[in-house]
Amino acid sequence: MMKKISSFLFVLSALALIVAACAPAVATEAPVAPTEAPAADPMAMYAPDAVTGDIISAGSSTVFPLSERMAELFQNEGYTGNITVDSIGSGAGYERFCKTGETDISNASRAIKDSEVENCKAIGREPLEFRVGTDALTVVISTQNDFVTALTKEQLAKIFTAQYTKWNEVDPAFPAEAILVYGPGADSGTFDYFNEEVVAPFYLNQDGKADVAAGKTALLAAKGAQFSEDDNVLVQGVAGSKYAIGYFGFAYYNENKSTLKAVAVDGVEPSQATVDDGTYPISRPLFIYSDAKIMKDKPQVAAFIYFYLNNLDANIKDVGYFPAPADAEKAAMDAWMAAVSK
Amino acid sequence: MLWRKSNFAPQQSDFAPQQSDFMNPNALRKKIRPAEGAVEALLFIVGVLTVFITISIVLTLGDQALLFFNDPAVTLAEFFGTTQWQPQAGQFGIWALVSATLTTSVVALLVAVPLGLAAALYLSEYASPRVRDILKPLLEVLAGIPTVVYGYFALLFVTPILRTLLGADRVGVYNMLSAGLVMGIMILPLISSMSEDALSAVPRSLREAAYAMGATRLEASVQVVLPAALSGVGAAVILGVSRAVGETMIVAIASGAGPNFSFNPLEAAETMTGHIARISGGDLPYGTLDYSSLFAIALMLFLVTLVLNLISQWFVAKFREQYE
Amino acid sequence: MNNFSYPEKDALNRFIAARYRTAWLWQIVFLFALLFAVVSLSALILNVADGAFGYVAYEYKKDPAMISPRPLEELTVPELLAALKANLSAGAFAKLDNESPLAGRSRAELLGLVEERILLVKTLETYPLFRSLFQREQIAAEVKEKFPAARLEFRAWLNAAFITSPQSSRAEFAGVRTAILGSLWLVSIAILFALPVGVGAAIYLQEYSNRKSLLNRIIQTNINNLAGVPSIVYGMLGLAIFVRAWEVFTSGALFGVTDSNGRTILSAGLTMGILVLPLMIINAQEAIKAVPDSIRQAAFGVGATRWQTIWHHVLPGALPGILTGSILAVSRAIGETAPLIIVGASTFITFDPQSPFTKFTALPIQIYQWTSRAQGEFHAIAAAAILVLLIMLLSLNATAILLRNRFQKRM
Repeated sequence: MMKKISSFLFVLSALALIVAACAPAVATEAPVAPTEAPAADPMAMYAPDAVTGDIISAGSSTVFPLSERMAELFQNEGYTGNITVDSIGSGAGYERFCKTGETDISNASRAIKDSEVENCKAIGREPLEFRVGTDALTVVISTQNDFVTALTKEQLAKIFTAQYTKWNEVDPAFPAEAILVYGPGADSGTFDYFNEEVVAPFYLNQDGKADVAAGKTALLAAKGAQFSEDDNVLVQGVAGSKYAIGYFGFAYYNENKSTLKAVAVDGVEPSQATVDDGTYPISRPLFIYSDAKIMKDKPQVAAFIYFYLNNLDANIKDVGYFPAPADAEKAAMDAWMAAVSK
Repeated sequence: MLWRKSNFAPQQSDFAPQQSDFMNPNALRKKIRPAEGAVEALLFIVGVLTVFITISIVLTLGDQALLFFNDPAVTLAEFFGTTQWQPQAGQFGIWALVSATLTTSVVALLVAVPLGLAAALYLSEYASPRVRDILKPLLEVLAGIPTVVYGYFALLFVTPILRTLLGADRVGVYNMLSAGLVMGIMILPLISSMSEDALSAVPRSLREAAYAMGATRLEASVQVVLPAALSGVGAAVILGVSRAVGETMIVAIASGAGPNFSFNPLEAAETMTGHIARISGGDLPYGTLDYSSLFAIALMLFLVTLVLNLISQWFVAKFREQYE
Repeated sequence: MNNFSYPEKDALNRFIAARYRTAWLWQIVFLFALLFAVVSLSALILNVADGAFGYVAYEYKKDPAMISPRPLEELTVPELLAALKANLSAGAFAKLDNESPLAGRSRAELLGLVEERILLVKTLETYPLFRSLFQREQIAAEVKEKFPAARLEFRAWLNAAFITSPQSSRAEFAGVRTAILGSLWLVSIAILFALPVGVGAAIYLQEYSNRKSLLNRIIQTNINNLAGVPSIVYGMLGLAIFVRAWEVFTSGALFGVTDSNGRTILSAGLTMGILVLPLMIINAQEAIKAVPDSIRQAAFGVGATRWQTIWHHVLPGALPGILTGSILAVSRAIGETAPLIIVGASTFITFDPQSPFTKFTALPIQIYQWTSRAQGEFHAIAAAAILVLLIMLLSLNATAILLRNRFQKRM
């Protein structure tokens, strides 16, 4: 009897090891192919098929779809090394970039904080910022809502901090129904940005400047506000009621146009045109960070960032975001040039 | 098989005392088996391993949690005394999160324990072996569904049903009831499988004795077999409690991200685990007070689980019967 | 003695009938409980399957006429090859050719490549299965109205290509091969660790140690407690110990591997192993407890040592319970997301794991990532990935289930 069990256990462990070891033989190796020069000849050394090695990138889940697309395209164009992208949140991304030094590129939906820059310097890294895109924050209501089309920032601030609790307080022409507020939680970059741009300007401290902390407190203490960390979940919430209002990234509105409507903020509707020329007031920047030393030691990282910056315009809309303003894109490219020629 | 003649055919010489037996002083001494000692030592190490795991967990958590408690903005009085949890706004009352954990766990257990036990009783006592062989693994598939799926199931399937049944104005889009119900469904196979094992292991003689006394199948199952299997059933319930308290994804998705001190299951509230999951995957910088509060919450969770487990263990020990 | 007087004749018959009626009623209740579980399971699986199959409205971003005026389905292999060569960059063409000679590929494969790389398929709308089956005309009308230039096709998002392709940022071409392999590696390592250690600990606690001793009771409470620790905390533990403290071991430096850090499959597998360990121990303990003492006494009676008794008599009798433990453990390990993210599973990774010392991804991570995307086609492939995970779970558990059925006997 015991023999049967031992042989069974042996077979089981052998099976496990065999299955694990029998990874399909399709490896992504390919010898270097004839080079493709995307621009002038000096850039040939940064062509995807001219470099190899590892590229490790981690950070924001907002920037992840964009980085993922770029990584895939880079590999499609002939890159023979391995690229991995982790979607762990901007905070965790900075931690891995600045504290433990594990990643080559950090994706972020918020700018790096001073404390994080200090950490980076402590391990010998100087974070280099590249602006890669814009995420337009969209304030949405259900398609059943037939009375709201545009709101001012002040009205939004009052709605989301529960200073207005019924729609007729916003505008006497609106019905006297309770406002159902949905939004991301305090850990989200979207929340932070909404607070800084929309709410905090109405909470002034003694110096007359926007009090971010007071704005946050007010947003979080809003009675009846529903928070969720998952934007798809927020979509469900807002679409479910005529009197609901919420905010999240443009992509989630765009995919659910049949059940959601966008509210014009300060008279401006979110669209390609208004984001491009900067008239849409609440659009937040997306970044990737690296370091000149990393780019020098690992030319594949420099090549990838070069490829990334060059292929943004062709792909960013497809992923669901908007391009960064032209001067920001130029600044990013200049920063890259400066870093590789140091 | 021992009795087949070819295997065991005693010869005359087997029984006659040998010369070596008389003269050999070791003949009657116990045979030294070093392997036995080695095995026991190895098993001891493995047995105590779990204690090391706990110590490691407490150390890993305690390190950062200490940072949290040492911060001037946090006082123990506020932590244990107030009921608002919003670290971004400087409020650190743990009860907001604990109440949600307790509410969702209670709802989950109210679903899982009776239904799991009933299912186990049916499978073990009433169902034919063929039915049991098919249904038991089928239920265990429920245990393997990723919790993310359960979360969305709760949000997109169960909540609308609840809102239709109980009124959309009373049940929020995020509520603890649907999260608790779905958690109960997830824990059900845990309880049913382990209980069924325990019930099946009860010796047949007990059942037959009960039937011989004229008991109906129900009476035999509930009054004789179930008490005999109580140790296993109790272990299953303890595991179920632990799983309910420690579940993360379902509550994170279906129960909302806003801490709320409430025992009303129709409201949205964030549990301890949901909060930990949200903050560690968010955009907040590491090293802030909000981040180190996670570790304090995790320690608190450890404590809550411990208390619940001690209660359950005492409960089971009181009612355990032992046969043989 | 109490004043209970046993009913007679008619009263007796009614009493017995009442007992049997109660018994029958409760049997129905138990059956309903079982059916509730089965119905929930079916509802869940149908819900998932609803999303994984259905009509999809799509269009090509580039006009197929740019390749040839004839419809795509009619193009021959040489024409497709020529189109690829003309429209792809030299580097891209060379890489594809190196992976597997393009001239030797099938027409379907080449057509797929043309659609993916040149024409750029864009999904406009996905429809769930039940709507697709029962409201076909409505969907066709809706698509005609909203997207006049779109094509409508019934698509099974779970297909052979899905299982064998590596990841992609485009939902139409993404696959879960890397994730499946990662999950298999993870679960294997977790069970290889948890099964022997769990059973060993249970044997120690039940057979060798004095059950009334304080140490035993502390360990017992401790194990019950560990079962309730949220998976994220195990992730933090794994990070601190396996990824950081034991980096030399888990990165393979001890075995000569130089290009990795502590965030490997080995770390994650061991973390999952610790996560399911309490479950394993509790199940094994209950199984060993349930073996009647008479068997042990009989073995001692014929002169067996303690270990011989355990190995030859107790463990075989406890096998069904241990197998239940392993089934529940595999189910838990295969579906966990949070600890893997903390220990360092990647979200986008295209190379297959070749050893335990590499970076990896797992099915639950892909599922979580895809369900949180905005576009509907990602939800569809998430549903397909969930189905893949369930099938994988069933196959992994199948051996244990069959064995358990064989060894479970009524004593």
